[in-house]
Amino acid sequence: MTFLRTLGLAAAVTATFAAGATAQAKDIVIGMMCDRTGPTAVTGTVLCPGYHDYIALVNSKGGIMGNTVIADEVDIEYKVPPAVEAYQRYKAKGAVLVSPFGTPMVAALVKTMQEDKIPATSAGFGTAAAANGEKYPYMFPIAASYWSQTAAAVQFAKDTFDGDLKGKRIAYVFYDNPAGREGIPVMEELAKQEGYELRTFGIPAPGIEAGAQVLDITRRFRADFVIAHVFGRAPAVLLKELKRAGYPIDKVIGLVWAVSEGDIAAAGGWDVAEGYNTIQFAGVGSDYPVLQEIRDMYKAQGKEPPSEMAYTVYYNRGVFQAAMHVKAIEDAIKAKGSADITGTDVRDAMRNINDFTLDGLVPPLQMSAKDHEGGGYIRVFQVQGGKFVPVTDWYRAYRDTVLRLLEEEHKG
Amino acid sequence: MFHRECGYYKTSYEADQAVLPLPIAKLAILGFALLFLVFVPLFASDYYLSNLSLVGITVVGALGLNILLGYTGQISIGHAAFMSVGAYTAANLAVKLGLPFYITLPLGGTMAALIGILVGIPSLRVKGLYLAIATLAAQFIIEWIINHTPAISGGVAAAIEVERPILFGWHLDSATELYYFVIFFAVLAIIATINLVRSRVGRALIAIRDQDIAAEIIGINVFRYKLYAFAISSFFAGVTGVLYTYYLGIATYEQFQIVVSIDFLAMCIIGGLGSVIGSILGAFFITLLPMVIRIVMENFGPLFMDPNDLPTIIGQLRLMFFGGLIMMFLILEPEGLNRLWLNIRNYFRVWPFSY
Amino acid sequence: MHPELEFAIALVAEGVLTGLMYSLIAVGFVLIYKSTDAINFAQGEFVMIAAIVVAGSLDWFGLPLWLSVLIGFAFMIAFGMGLERFVLRPMIGMPIVAIIMATIGLAFFLRGFGPLVFGSAPTTINLPIPDSPIFWGPLYLKPIALVGAGISIAFLAAFGWFFLKSRTGVAMRAVADSHQVSMAMGINVERFFAIAWITAGIVALLGGLVWGNMIGVDIQLALIGLKVFPVVILGGLDSIIGVVVGGIIVGVVEALTSGFIDPIVGGGMKDFAPYVLMVIMLMIRPYGIFGRRLIERI
Repeated sequence: MTFLRTLGLAAAVTATFAAGATAQAKDIVIGMMCDRTGPTAVTGTVLCPGYHDYIALVNSKGGIMGNTVIADEVDIEYKVPPAVEAYQRYKAKGAVLVSPFGTPMVAALVKTMQEDKIPATSAGFGTAAAANGEKYPYMFPIAASYWSQTAAAVQFAKDTFDGDLKGKRIAYVFYDNPAGREGIPVMEELAKQEGYELRTFGIPAPGIEAGAQVLDITRRFRADFVIAHVFGRAPAVLLKELKRAGYPIDKVIGLVWAVSEGDIAAAGGWDVAEGYNTIQFAGVGSDYPVLQEIRDMYKAQGKEPPSEMAYTVYYNRGVFQAAMHVKAIEDAIKAKGSADITGTDVRDAMRNINDFTLDGLVPPLQMSAKDHEGGGYIRVFQVQGGKFVPVTDWYRAYRDTVLRLLEEEHKG
Repeated sequence: MFHRECGYYKTSYEADQAVLPLPIAKLAILGFALLFLVFVPLFASDYYLSNLSLVGITVVGALGLNILLGYTGQISIGHAAFMSVGAYTAANLAVKLGLPFYITLPLGGTMAALIGILVGIPSLRVKGLYLAIATLAAQFIIEWIINHTPAISGGVAAAIEVERPILFGWHLDSATELYYFVIFFAVLAIIATINLVRSRVGRALIAIRDQDIAAEIIGINVFRYKLYAFAISSFFAGVTGVLYTYYLGIATYEQFQIVVSIDFLAMCIIGGLGSVIGSILGAFFITLLPMVIRIVMENFGPLFMDPNDLPTIIGQLRLMFFGGLIMMFLILEPEGLNRLWLNIRNYFRVWPFSY
Repeated sequence: MHPELEFAIALVAEGVLTGLMYSLIAVGFVLIYKSTDAINFAQGEFVMIAAIVVAGSLDWFGLPLWLSVLIGFAFMIAFGMGLERFVLRPMIGMPIVAIIMATIGLAFFLRGFGPLVFGSAPTTINLPIPDSPIFWGPLYLKPIALVGAGISIAFLAAFGWFFLKSRTGVAMRAVADSHQVSMAMGINVERFFAIAWITAGIVALLGGLVWGNMIGVDIQLALIGLKVFPVVILGGLDSIIGVVVGGIIVGVVEALTSGFIDPIVGGGMKDFAPYVLMVIMLMIRPYGIFGRRLIERI
């Protein structure tokens, strides 16, 4: 089977035919785009092994109801043309689910996927608008959108100040690209509701220097709280500068791409990040039964667990995505009664995932035909003594405001 | 282009300039036309068609950059930005005014050409390194402006969705239809370039490349022709952007970042500077290289390394191959794949009676 | 003092120090141009690979800092020599565009090579430098930036003397001026090429140590190379004093833009402003503030 998995397109097509003939046990292909090189390599090199390990775990337990899952990975280097090529490869292989990586790639493929009726997930990126299942019936953000995350971050700040943000100064630090600016409307809207004073600080590409912004935050604006929505190298730089300036790190919260073990290492180690609050859409840390199963699987094969498992933020997100995919496919097979599922079957199953938590690794998502975001749940983990410790339960905040803004966005 | 001759029998300038000097060349063209216009769409799967469509789009851009880099000797590290100018112009016209592609496509190209002229103006004073840096700056500045101007970028997402091209009420949305759509413009670009470089303008550009001060002395208005080169080249780039937009159904500036500019430079260098066939070969080569590396590594990689590490290694090897090939071609074969092709052809020219 | 003024002073100080650290990266670029007439678009990748080697020795083999730095030195010397021998020497006499492209190719090669050999996980280089800032009146000074700026100035002074006074330096300038004439005059062009690239490698190592400590070590460290262009264009490509001035201009412009223009436009103008300044400079005085005007002959 490994040989088949690694063969090129032609062999896979043949394999599909062969499997069609036997009809019973079938190879189920998931298209897995990944960034192992390029600007987002830091994420991809950890997230993708997590994804593959979960799929390997499922297969080692006999696959999904006897059907082997093939996660076909293509490294797209955060470029659009390779993503198009990869997508066509998946389509030719008969993939029932695709996982593109990166906002521009999702944007470039969303139309084609809708035409081909192949569902896709985009956990943690893509516009907030994609959560609308009526407008994008085959696009599943599955994780909290940037808008939901921003709202949750404001809620967290509010709780920090005992439920009152009136007159407080909040700095919203964003990476200056479309994805980074996305949270601003929510911040402005909530500033009206909660009465805090908002100032935005852009960190433009390449985001390797933030000395002046931090001076401004700490010495001119004197922010009471910092919400950071930054990517790439900017999280490490920002964290280190804030720490150096003596800013209390426990008054900083980062959205989903603003922290990982790698960023903390780049910033100079766990001491620098002590107290940092981070929003997560998948559980962080090593204490999940599913991770133990993966370690056991490696042990059974006589191998050491991969070094990527130490980077739990992205690794667990890989596991989370894989688990969601497997769950949707499993439900689709159950609903259909055979492994002959189509993209639309998987889509329908995905829309019905409810309270699938994987012992805390996955938020209590409530997917529906309208809400492909699953409710927008996040959980805040704080850096304490060299690891991430959950300081809240899964929660969401200002749901009405976020939904109202979504409505307006669709009208406008 | 694809002809075989056994000697040099040209007696007039017309014969020397003919695009198809021998009857066999016509046959060769016919053969290629049959292959790409009939057999490929008939027999190739969607996967290969979509890859060929991507190659077709890049051919347009590579030809455009080669006019600037290969024929005029002016470097541009900002070509991807011109593509985004074309893409956003077309997308805005298509969405806001509902114009069809046969109007938005030339307008997108024209807009890119205008911006290209603007960027080309420093080329009067600076060249070589300075021009490289000026165009690099243009790349960042254009990106920044699109990124920060909602009127151009269409809102926070900086992405505009566009309907697939419609020709006389016929929606071109299947892989085959889009393939024909792209190939039509790729062929148009090839013919235009072949004719451009044998015209007065083309000869002036080549003179500037070879020795710009000497060209000025023999009466060529260097500044004007450099601007022509920038305009034509950016027009091609703009059209490339428009084609991407229609092909993908969306315009997004993140798709046209600096690495894309460098991809196109690599196409020109690996394909062959100052050569039409070279641009085409380069476009094929650079677009298909990652796929070939991946397929080879997927098949043979597990033989000598841990399959778990393989995906990461594939990516890193690809970067090393890409960079290494650029350096290798520059050092060993500065005229690129085109020269390799000519070497092969020259060998067979008098075959089997080579001396 | 007025708080806004006080803040502006702090920003300028921040900008000057950061700018001098940009100069540290840019000096390698100028060094190569001044002594070989080649353009190195892979300067950021030089810094990256040097830092990756040092961090790799620190993390993987658990070596002490001084030994890791020594390994880094050895690697960069070997790297500079190999690069000159196998890439740059065959390209002597080729047009500048070809050399630009070759170094772009080199940049991609290094971005694949570094992670392939040393892994792609980000890490850092911890230097024995205190981290808490020094407050001095309105000023806010980062120790690492002071060290970086100090190294930068020391290096630049040394190079200034080297190119102006030493025999080798003068020979290098001659080589840069014309490869052919230098050869005819009996200068061993290849040897000076090798010296230039090795020195650039060593400067990149120092830049890698300082910036690796500032922002962490992985392939994204190479992005620092983007800061080089405004610095060298503003200061003048072949001027050592120009690198200092260019770096300071870029640093101060960035800091002030961030402090006073960003709040108005509501976006990040900071890293973009030096590029705009650079384009204006290219239009009015392409050879920079201190650059040498070129006279072209057929």
